[in-house]
Amino acid sequence: MKEFQVTSGPFIRDKNSTKKIMFHLLIALTPIILFSFYKNGIIPFINDKVTILGMFYPLIFIILGPIFTFLTELIYVKFFLKKDHTEVKRHINSSFSIFPGLFLALVLPINTPISILFFGSVIATMIGKMLFGGFGHNVFNPALIGYLFVTVIYGSMIASNGGYLNAMEMDAITTATPLSNVALVEGIGTYETLVEPYGGLLNFFIGTIPGALGEVSALLCLLAFIYLSILKVIKWKIPVVYVGTVFAMTCIIGSYNGLGVWYPLFQVMSGGLLFGAVFMATDPVTSPTTPIAQILYGLFLGILTVLIRYLTPYPEGVMTSILLMNMFVFILDKIGSRSRFNFNRSVFSFLFAWVLIIGLSLQIGYGFKKEDPKVDTNFNVNNIETKDGKTVYTVTQKGFSGNIKAEITIEDDLIININVLEISDDYYPKVTKENFDKQLIEGQENITEVETVSGATVTSTAIKNMIINTLKDYRGE
Amino acid sequence: MSRGVKIPKHKKESITNKIATYLKPKVVYIPLICQNDTNITVLVKSGDYVCKGEVIARKRGNFKVPIHSSVSGTVKSIIEKPYLSGDMVKCVVIENDFKETVLTETEPKRHINDYTKKEFIEKIKNAGIVGLGGGGFPTYVKYDTDEKINTLIINAVECEPFLTADYMLGLDKCEEILEAIDAIIDINDIPEAIIAIKRGNTKTKEIINTFIGTYLKIKLVEVPELYPMGWERLLISQVKGVSYNKLPIEKGIIVNNVSTIYAIYEALKFDKPLIDRVITITGEMIKEPQNVLVKVGTSINEVIESIGGYKRFKDIRFITGGPMMGDAIDTDEVVVSPNLTGILVLRNNDKDELLECLRCGKCVNACPAKLSPVLIMNSLSTPEKLKGLRPEKCVECGLCSYVCPSKILVRNYVIKAKEKNK
Repeated sequence: MKEFQVTSGPFIRDKNSTKKIMFHLLIALTPIILFSFYKNGIIPFINDKVTILGMFYPLIFIILGPIFTFLTELIYVKFFLKKDHTEVKRHINSSFSIFPGLFLALVLPINTPISILFFGSVIATMIGKMLFGGFGHNVFNPALIGYLFVTVIYGSMIASNGGYLNAMEMDAITTATPLSNVALVEGIGTYETLVEPYGGLLNFFIGTIPGALGEVSALLCLLAFIYLSILKVIKWKIPVVYVGTVFAMTCIIGSYNGLGVWYPLFQVMSGGLLFGAVFMATDPVTSPTTPIAQILYGLFLGILTVLIRYLTPYPEGVMTSILLMNMFVFILDKIGSRSRFNFNRSVFSFLFAWVLIIGLSLQIGYGFKKEDPKVDTNFNVNNIETKDGKTVYTVTQKGFSGNIKAEITIEDDLIININVLEISDDYYPKVTKENFDKQLIEGQENITEVETVSGATVTSTAIKNMIINTLKDYRGE
Repeated sequence: MSRGVKIPKHKKESITNKIATYLKPKVVYIPLICQNDTNITVLVKSGDYVCKGEVIARKRGNFKVPIHSSVSGTVKSIIEKPYLSGDMVKCVVIENDFKETVLTETEPKRHINDYTKKEFIEKIKNAGIVGLGGGGFPTYVKYDTDEKINTLIINAVECEPFLTADYMLGLDKCEEILEAIDAIIDINDIPEAIIAIKRGNTKTKEIINTFIGTYLKIKLVEVPELYPMGWERLLISQVKGVSYNKLPIEKGIIVNNVSTIYAIYEALKFDKPLIDRVITITGEMIKEPQNVLVKVGTSINEVIESIGGYKRFKDIRFITGGPMMGDAIDTDEVVVSPNLTGILVLRNNDKDELLECLRCGKCVNACPAKLSPVLIMNSLSTPEKLKGLRPEKCVECGLCSYVCPSKILVRNYVIKAKEKNK
């Protein structure tokens, strides 16, 4: 007796599978993980900066991320949803639960305590993924949801712990990450102030600059991009347009201020832009599916990133831009699907993007020109009190986040005491730990020579500027 | 815009030296269906004697396409037999007397170019010629137009994997096909004819180039090895660089399948109606895959037995048509209809794990009709969203399901949306 099975066509299928896609993603991430281990573990160990445990810390950290998200999902499915054994197995098999944790670990600073990584992983899985209905249904990139919570709640703690600087960088580099350094330099900055502290653009390309665990090497991100694009794992249009937009905008801003092509390159290779563009912005679930929507997504990601970098106190902007744009994916896809039949449907969106790109670039570029960087406009004298030969200045100075308010006591033309009254900078505890105020008092004769606190450069520079400004005012300069 | 996707060909299996024949069925079951329309008048009754090629039924409605007996013999009854879609369709049962008696009413022209346009249209209409590429659309309708026809495209792309009927027929009857094309463009005053074959199909290219020399108006064009390059809209855009709204004739273009052209040749030359066709019988579960010339109305199980049968009888899939657009049905007693291009028998291999859609967008990139299948699938429950996504444009080529890495049968959702949107 003949038996014919009736199934639905087509009867041949492409050999590609979701599992293969995820596997290729892991392959592309491997060199990045190894480089992080080399840069943050092996090199400091060779130079006797860390113990053997310290050497393996970056690797352990990166491996723990995926383990945490995997376990969170397993426990949730098994004990909260109370699924039976086969269902749990099926879920684990099809949910790719390791990725949020892996990406989260790669975008966090080296000095993040493991407990915070654990917290972030649980948040990433539960709020970022399971709350929306699990793999394929989440609106936001789960790893970035975890990152958001970690940064908002524990940002200052991580920063006071050393932030992005590994053991080598704490000693060698006086400044923080390249982009937080941008806020310190005068005006838009120069090659000497922006790039040279990190040893030149080649270091940005290779990845020997301070930054999150997995996102510093432009070269490895580029290689991963090529690998993933050839194998059609990622939506290649998104990173190309995203990075291209940031490059074009910073190119306009830079050339308006007479800076060479190094400037847009510096902007593109800093702040985890390449890592974010290649791995986070292309997360299939949370990015657009139609080609035109992918291009628009890249354009607006670029615009938002530049906007955040230049017009807000937050130096990086990549992760925030991606999270924000995640919300608009469905609208972009609506435009994208309709403009497949009639391209005119997307013309308005493109025009809007072009206007923003050119307008913002010119506006930001012009803004730098107008500013006279010699005078610190963010300094204010609130009160001057003189008694017993002492002069007490109550001043405010713009810090990393918000104003720093302090009482500065001057006796015999010399500062004898600095009393910080109000400060909201996350990095301040590190500054007090280093007795920075004492250093300033001791070095006031040659105050410009006083070195700022590594790992809290913005805050310490602000305090230093505050002293300089106070002295200027006192001396009537 | 996607011009399709490169997919495995699986053509070698069924390419043999010669087209086999199975022309002596004891009984034929002539299906009373034309273009999925069963609104057909039967002109014979049980006990009637019919000649081979005699009209036994005629379609009602707009296009009164006749249906012919493919054998000479006695009408037994009208019963239901499975059609290629798997649905049961009324069939006229005729017992073959193997005499192959034919009615000869008119003497066919000795030179096939001598037909006038009117005679030509009448001829192919009365011969019941429909599109043999799978469409089944009456061919005469395409020519019965007041528009100026500028180009005749002969579709020899056969983009469905596994199927080689057009390929084998093209090799075997190349001279006749060229002769027919020449006659058609001569009769209809068409300035050019383009034969579209797949790039890499060197054998067909060689043989056509051997004979094409004398036909100055016939050109050979190679199209990329992509699926569904044989789809009319895509083929025209590839070959002529134009797109049309509803029908190719808007741009003065007619597309005919190469097997249809041969059927036209037989009608013009021998006054032979469409009563047989070449079908491919192939697949890993067929002992000796090959192409067979069969009569319309033949029960496929007999044909398969005659060429060696199945490798096994259990856990296999019986597919009518190609692997992309064909249907798996539960019986092999399907009757041959003019639009049956082949039979594919594969092992049942649905071990593919179904995963959640990860929104990779591969279906969007693949869709030759410019649809966004993933969005259609996710909007099934919201009709107002569906409207703008235009699911009615789907040609059911199956590429969205083919490329899906999560092994979702995306096409089924799009078809559902298509029905909802009606």
